[in-house]
Formats: sequence, C-alpha cells, structure tokens
Amino acid sequence: MSTRRILVTGASRGIGAALVSRFLDAGDTVFGCGRSAADTTHERYTHFAVDVADEDAVRGMCNEIRVKAGGLDVLINNAGVARMNALALTPPADARQVVDTNILGVFNCTHQGIRLLRKSSCARIVNLTTVAVPLRLEGEAIYAASKAAVESLTRITAKEVGPMGITCNAVGPTPIRTDLIAKVPSAKLDALVAQQAIKAWATVDDVYNVVEFFLRPESRMITGQVVYLGGIS
Amino acid sequence: MTREDIQRVVLAAMAGVNASRDADQQLQIAADALVFGPGSPLDSLGLVGLLVDIEDALRDEGHEVSLSDSRAMSQSRSPFRSVPTLVTYIDELLTSPA
Repeated sequence: MSTRRILVTGASRGIGAALVSRFLDAGDTVFGCGRSAADTTHERYTHFAVDVADEDAVRGMCNEIRVKAGGLDVLINNAGVARMNALALTPPADARQVVDTNILGVFNCTHQGIRLLRKSSCARIVNLTTVAVPLRLEGEAIYAASKAAVESLTRITAKEVGPMGITCNAVGPTPIRTDLIAKVPSAKLDALVAQQAIKAWATVDDVYNVVEFFLRPESRMITGQVVYLGGIS
Repeated sequence: MTREDIQRVVLAAMAGVNASRDADQQLQIAADALVFGPGSPLDSLGLVGLLVDIEDALRDEGHEVSLSDSRAMSQSRSPFRSVPTLVTYIDELLTSPA
C-alpha cells in the first residue's frame, strides 16, 4: 500500500470524487476541496470547503495541510466549471467564472502547492484539460480557451519546477458521464465520441490510469506532457 | 522580528542554498551581498527556491509571508536584488497591515 499525500481539487463530485476514492483504495492520505461538502468519509480523507478561485482560502487550506501532513507528494488540479454555450450567447459573468475557476484556480493551487511539494521525493502535479482544446469544439469557446491556458500553465510550470524535482503533466479526458456535461445534448456528445480514434465513452478509470502513470516514480522523466484519451491529438 | 532577525533568516537560507550548488556558483554570505541579478550566480529558478526556503523559515518562527512580487525579475527594482533590499522588503511585509 502506498502512503502518498495527495490533494485533489474539485473533489466533491465527478472525476475528482472518483479519483479520491481510488487513491483511498490505494492506501493514500487524501485531501480534497470543493465549493460544496463531499460525500466521502474516510479516516484518511480530509475535505475543505474551498473555492480554488479564492486565493486566501487556498492559502489557508495549504497551511492546514502543512500542519497536518507536513507537505504533499501529489497535487491534482481537477476543479473546473464548464459553460457550454455559443460565444455570442455566453454572459460575461459566466466567462469570468470559467476563467476564475479553471485558470486562476490552477494558478492559486499550484502557487501554494509548490511550497508543499518541493520536499517530496516524488513530487507530481497533474492538471485536468479537455479534448475540446485540440478539437476546437463549437459551443465551448470559453471553456476550451480556459483549458488551453491550463495546458500552457502545465508546460511552463514543468520547466519552472523541474529543477525542484517536481513533474507537471496534464490529462485530457474524452466525454465521461459526469455532472459537468449533464446538460450537453446527447447527440452532440455522440458526435464527439464518433470523432475519436477509439469510439467509446471514457470512464473515470481511464483517467485514473493516466494519472497513475504520471505519479509513478518511474515517470520522473515525464513532464510538460498533455495526454488525451481516445486517440485525440 | 528585528531586521537583525530577518537578516539571520535570509543568510541562513542562502547558506542552505549553497549546500546544493557547485563551488563556482556559491552565493556570498554577507550582510551586503547580492542575491539576484547582475553579479549574482543565482538564476530565476534558484531565486524561487531561495525565497520559498525563506518563507518556510519565517513560518517556522511564526511569521506568515508570501514573497511574491511583480517586481521580482526586474533588474533595477527587484526587492530581491541584495540582502539589504530583501531584508527591508520582508520587514515591510511583516510590519504592514494585513
């Protein structure tokens, strides 16, 4: 059993909650955060009701993790919001929320996370992106743009934290049946799946598989990479 | 925390950084030493490590500061240019209202 100390953002539901569950099954000590409470209860799980866009709240959370665990081995920047809408019909307030959560949220957690990770012997940052970036999906302009920014953050962060022994990579899932896409018409999602080399819906286990690859000690030379599921490139 | 206390923390962190640097890349450990910029062997990534070490040391002494500053990489205005400017900068952070 492993004893990694892992922080998963956006842990209240969806991919984040599922990753938390799998890390707990693997024996890890897991911290999670989300704007809402989590259903997960476990002796090795601590949940923080924190909005990643709130710089002060993220700093406070990281200080508590420092006191409780002494640091982190893994940061999973999973928290994200999607506003599927034509650009011309997207309220600016929605666009602002996507930018705040998806870009500044990753910035805030990485900014503080580096301070917790740098003394780990196997420090890893994994960011969540989306196939909407390479596919340039209509109706997802602000969401895809925010995740394109996350990919740039991933690649540049990898260079900056490499000398500290920290790797930083990203995984881009194809459609998974989570709340994030619950309001997207099924015909649109089916058409998206049809564009994939592997024409199947992904599951959280497919995401976990890539994440675990990034986390392995043997992956110490893997950094600045973005891996999409389903054969999208 | 006095300026002397802050200077002690800064110099100790610089000495700690030197432990993992080659002999020809050592930082000078002195009250008026350069830290970052022309004349210093510390590059921007090395500066990040040093500043985080200083943050950790200050936290251990009960002081929470974030050494993030938009002037960090400025050749002329960086508060991280030398030990005296860095000590002054930290002193201002510690004494300014939250």
